[in-house]
Amino acid sequence: MKKLSVEEVKHVAHLARIQVSDEEIESYRTRLGALYEMVDGIHEIEGYSEEMMITPVEEVCSLRKDEVGAMLDGASVLSNAPKTNGKFIEVPVVINE
Amino acid sequence: MTKYEATIGIEVHVEVKTKSKIFSSSENGYGKDANSSCTVVDLGYPGTLPTLNEEVILQGIRAVHLTHCTLTRKMHFDRKNYFYPDNPKNYQITQNRTPIGQNGYLEIETSEGPKKIEILEMHLEEDTCKSSHKGRVSLLDFNRAGVPLIEIVSKPCMHTKEEAMLYLEKLKETFFYGNISDCKMEEGSMRCDVNVSIAPKESKTLGVKCEIKNIGSIRNVGIAIEKEIARQEEVLEQGQVLKEQTRRFDDQLNDTVLMRVKETGNDYRYFPEPDIPFVFLEEEQIQEALATLPMMPDERRILYQKKGMSKLHIEKILANRSLSDYLNTFLDTNINFVTAANLLLGDISSYLNKNFKKLEQTKLTREKFIDLLQKLEEGALSNKNVKEILEDVLEKEISIPEIMKEKKIQNITDVSFVEEIIQKVLDENTQSVLDYKEGKDRALKYLMGQVMKETKGAVNPKIANEKLVEYLQKR
Repeated sequence: MKKLSVEEVKHVAHLARIQVSDEEIESYRTRLGALYEMVDGIHEIEGYSEEMMITPVEEVCSLRKDEVGAMLDGASVLSNAPKTNGKFIEVPVVINE
Repeated sequence: MTKYEATIGIEVHVEVKTKSKIFSSSENGYGKDANSSCTVVDLGYPGTLPTLNEEVILQGIRAVHLTHCTLTRKMHFDRKNYFYPDNPKNYQITQNRTPIGQNGYLEIETSEGPKKIEILEMHLEEDTCKSSHKGRVSLLDFNRAGVPLIEIVSKPCMHTKEEAMLYLEKLKETFFYGNISDCKMEEGSMRCDVNVSIAPKESKTLGVKCEIKNIGSIRNVGIAIEKEIARQEEVLEQGQVLKEQTRRFDDQLNDTVLMRVKETGNDYRYFPEPDIPFVFLEEEQIQEALATLPMMPDERRILYQKKGMSKLHIEKILANRSLSDYLNTFLDTNINFVTAANLLLGDISSYLNKNFKKLEQTKLTREKFIDLLQKLEEGALSNKNVKEILEDVLEKEISIPEIMKEKKIQNITDVSFVEEIIQKVLDENTQSVLDYKEGKDRALKYLMGQVMKETKGAVNPKIANEKLVEYLQKR
């Protein structure tokens, strides 16, 4: 069974923005490895091509006319935000220089 | 810089002019109340689906054509995955494998002659929301989320800040005249990231690149490149190794500052956007897009040059598109373009600027403009007269002859009459004639004043001056 390195698990955890403990890293090495193996199985599909990944059906994209439709009012936009500030949605600062 | 050569590549994002956004029908506008132009699609709500805006495709076709790129007739979109609050879906819909355009160029005029700046590729994508940073918090406005963008990636083929600035000017002019984007850098509708690296001149490989983000004007691009080259040179001269980094331009400091390192390359885990099937560009659609393209600046340059306009005037006219468009409405006439450009750039522009008006808001009809130019050419109106009547010309719905009548302007162009007056003035001012003969310039001015006085300023000054000199020399 495929086993990821500690560094690989840490990298994936960083991309997902989650903290993992040493025990979890060890557990993910095999669990994520199994997942990777499963995904690799796609290559075994007969006649596999990258285009199949885009869409398996010969469907053509229909285009929308360039017209302005109904929009949400500002209050609705803010209603699901955990925190707001005037007409803005507030989040913790993300710039880190 | 002596030992090193700089290599510069530029990524430019322009906001595309459309009524609605790229994947939703919310308004694509600027300056609206925060979070007032959005739908659930722009907010990245689960279960929502993107619907591709036809006009974005047409604008993309135009952009590809104007930059001499090869059009991708069968294309799809991709997801670029990353976590950041400006992007609640956690992915941006962009084009990775099938950019709408590839391998194009724009030609710039450098001090060493023309140079083709090669374009690697051009993508269609959605903008993210706008975040502004305030102390410990960031404020999000989703009006910008989903605004259509075209990203233009140049090859690393520029070597000086001048080339980079000229390329950006050309790109801006092309997209602006093509009606693809407003290209207002101060409003963020054109943004650029610049990659700079330096390497010893004899080196066959490129140096370690540094990306500078957030540059808000073409002038600042020049400053940023200059500072970055100097910084990298200093690092190498001290025997240190350059590290790949992302910096941003700080216009307060007038310098680049180090930013945090973001994901790059594979970390974005691009994969095809499953919610948007293949887009096929048909010949009919391509022709429809290109049919609406107006005359582009380079074609205008050639035409204006043929009409005898100076390079300076051509560039000044092109810098003000409404003047150029106006001038183009006279291409089928035989007006003197040099006089027309002089008038448009001079008195007319200063009147418009002073009164915060646009040319199309005035009463300057085609007939009036032609008549005004003719009268100037014939000498029936002097430049001074034009200044006197300009306000009426631009603001009143009456003809030039009517305005002249109202203002009592009747320039005498009858040469024999002018000659008669000059003879009289010279006979009455023999001392001034002698002064002139002795080389006193002031005498000519005085005599000219007397001629104008005799005719109450109604004589064409150009004709009068020529005749006065002629008659003085005969004496």
